[in-house]
Amino acid sequence: MSAGLHPFNIQYSAHLFMPIIEIKNLTKVYVNDEVETPVLHGVSFSINRGEFVAIMGPSGSGKSTLLHVLGFLDNYTDGSFLFEGKEASTYAGDATASIRNKKLGFIFQSFNLLAHASVFENVRLPLFYSDIPESEWGKRVNDAIEIVGLSHRTDFDVTRLSGGEKQRVAIARALVCNPEVIFADEPTGNLDSKSGGAIIQTLQELNEKLGHTIILITHETYTAEHARRIIRIKDGLVESDNEVAERRHTNDGILIK
Amino acid sequence: MKFKHSIKTAYRGLEQNRARSLLTILGIVIGVTAIILVMSLGQGAQDLILDQVKGMGTRTIIVGGGREPAGVSDAGQIFSDSLKKRDLEALERKENTPSIKYVMPLVFGVADARYANDTFNLTIYGVSSLMEKIFDMPMKTGAFFTEEDVRARAKYVVIGNKVKNELFGADDALGKIIKMKGHNFRVVGVLSERGQDFFNFDEAAIIPYTTAQDYVLGIKHFNRFITEAASEALINDAAEEIKLTLRESHDLTGTAKDDFFVVTQVDLAGRLSSITSVLTIFLAAVAAISLIVGGIGIMNIMLVSVTERTKEIGLRKALGATYKNILTQFLLEAVMLTGMGGLVGILLGAFLSWAIATTITNFTNIAWTFTFPVSAAILGIVVSGAIGLIFGLYPARTAANKSPIDALRYE
Repeated sequence: MSAGLHPFNIQYSAHLFMPIIEIKNLTKVYVNDEVETPVLHGVSFSINRGEFVAIMGPSGSGKSTLLHVLGFLDNYTDGSFLFEGKEASTYAGDATASIRNKKLGFIFQSFNLLAHASVFENVRLPLFYSDIPESEWGKRVNDAIEIVGLSHRTDFDVTRLSGGEKQRVAIARALVCNPEVIFADEPTGNLDSKSGGAIIQTLQELNEKLGHTIILITHETYTAEHARRIIRIKDGLVESDNEVAERRHTNDGILIK
Repeated sequence: MKFKHSIKTAYRGLEQNRARSLLTILGIVIGVTAIILVMSLGQGAQDLILDQVKGMGTRTIIVGGGREPAGVSDAGQIFSDSLKKRDLEALERKENTPSIKYVMPLVFGVADARYANDTFNLTIYGVSSLMEKIFDMPMKTGAFFTEEDVRARAKYVVIGNKVKNELFGADDALGKIIKMKGHNFRVVGVLSERGQDFFNFDEAAIIPYTTAQDYVLGIKHFNRFITEAASEALINDAAEEIKLTLRESHDLTGTAKDDFFVVTQVDLAGRLSSITSVLTIFLAAVAAISLIVGGIGIMNIMLVSVTERTKEIGLRKALGATYKNILTQFLLEAVMLTGMGGLVGILLGAFLSWAIATTITNFTNIAWTFTFPVSAAILGIVVSGAIGLIFGLYPARTAANKSPIDALRYE
C-alpha cells in the first residue's frame, strides 16, 4: 500500500487537522415506559481527521451508546455534536442514512455479514445504497478485498471463512465507500489473539497509510494501546483523555489479551 | 438503490427460504387457479348456451302461454293453456302480423317409445311442416311430414339420431312402426346427429301437432308458437305485432296483464348469458376468499421473516439503507411471492380448464370449447400483485421502521 496513489487514500488538504467530530456536554437519556435511564451525562471531546482513537470503558460505561450517537445510529438527548462542523441533529431520516453510507464505516464485534453470500457480495452491499456509479463497483470491491488481503477468497461463501477472515470482510465492507471515519466496535472480541492482532494491524495500516480516522471501542487496555489516543469513559463521563505514551504495534501479528 | 438491485435483493431473500416461499404461495396459487377455472368454465358454458340459442336462428320469436314465470314458485305458469287455435289463426293473418314470415304451433310432452323389446324415454314435439323452414333440420334418411299429413293427423314420426340408435341399432328405421302412448307411429324420417342443442332433437320424436294434441297429449291448446320475423331488423316490430294480435284475440284491454309472453332470441341469449355471468361472478367471488386467506398467510410469513432478519435490517440501515430501501425490499419480496403464485395459478387454472374442456368434448357429444380467459388472467396477476402489496405493506413497514441499533443488537 503506497499512500498518495491509492484510491482509498483520503484527500490530503488543509482541513485535515480540523476536528471531524466535536462533542460538547453530550447527554443521552433512554426513555422506556416513562422510566428515564441516563447513560451519557455530558461528554465532551473532539477528534481530528486522521486520528486513531480508542474509546475505553467497562460494560455499562456508555461507550457503546457513544459509538451509536457518533455513528448516526442513534439520537442524543442534549448537548452538541458537530460532524464536519455541522450539528448532527440537523440531519434526519434519509440524510443520516446517507452520512452513514458516504462518511462512516462500521466494524462490529459479531461481524454482521450476510450469510449465504460471497465475500464479494458482502463487500459490495454498501454500494447498493450509494450513488457511486455501478461501473466502478467491481474495482472498488476488489481493491477493498485486496487491502484486507482476501483476494484469494473473493468468491467464497462467507460461512466458509474463519473468524479472522470474516472480520477482514467486514473491514473491506467498511472501506468500500471510502469513508472518513471507521468505527470498530470491539472488533477483536470474538477472535483469537492471532487473528485479533492481524485485525488491529490492518486498522493501524488504514490509519497510517490511507489516512482514515479510526475510532476503536474496546474494554481491553492492551488493544486500546494500539491507538494514538485513549479516551476512558466511566459512568457516562470522560474519565481521562490521553495520548498513548508508548504506542503498541502488532507487527508480529499477535494480540495479547 | 436501483430497482434491478432491489429485485435481486428481494429474490435472494426468497431464495434463502425456498421451501417456505413455495409453501407460502400455495394459498395464492389455489385461489388464482380456482378463479381462472371458474371463469374459464363459466365462459365455456356461456358460449355453449349462446351457441345453442343462436342455433334457433336470430329471427326466431317464441310465444308462450301464461305469464312468463317470475320465479321458481311461479313455475306453474308454464303450463298455462292460454294459446288457442284462434290465436294461431289470428297470428297467421298477414294483416295482423306483416313483419312475420312463419308462425308454427308447438306442443310438447314426454313419452316412452317402444320398438320390439327396446324402450326409450324421449321428448315429443308436435309441430307443423314449417319446422323444416324455421329450423335447419338435415335428415339422415327419409323426409319430413307434409302439411297434408298435419291436417290428416297422420301418425308419422321423425326421430332423432339417438332415438334411432337406441331403438333400432344399426338396423334401418325407415318405415318401421314405433309405439308411443298406445299409438303406432310410422317412422318417416331420421334426423342427422345434431349434438347438444337447445331442444335436444337427438332425443326427440317429432310428430304433427294435430296428432300430438289429439292422440298423445289430449290437449286443445298450444304450448308455444314459434315464429320467425321476415328479417332481423323487423324483430321488434314482429314482437309488437304478436303482442297486439294476442291481446285482441284474448280480449285484453287497458291495463289488463298479458296472459302470454313473447321472447326473442336476443332476449333469451341476453337473459341466459346474464344468468351464467352472475353464477360465474358468484363462484369467482367464493374463490377470491381463498386469495384473501392466502394474503394473510403471506403477511404472517413476511412478519416472521422480518423478525428473523432483524439483524440484517439493522446492518443494511447501518450501511446506508434508507426507510424506502428497506420498505421496497420487503414489499418486493411479498409482491414477488404473490406474483409468482398468481402466475402459477393462471397456468394451472388454464391447464385444468383446458383438460376439463377436452374431457367434456371427448366423452360427451357436447361441443365444449376451451377459452383462455385473458381478462381473468390479467385480473389474476393484478389481484395477486395487489394482495402482495396490501398484505406485504404492514410487514415491510415494520421492517423499515426498525431503528438500526435495536436491529443490530437483536439476538
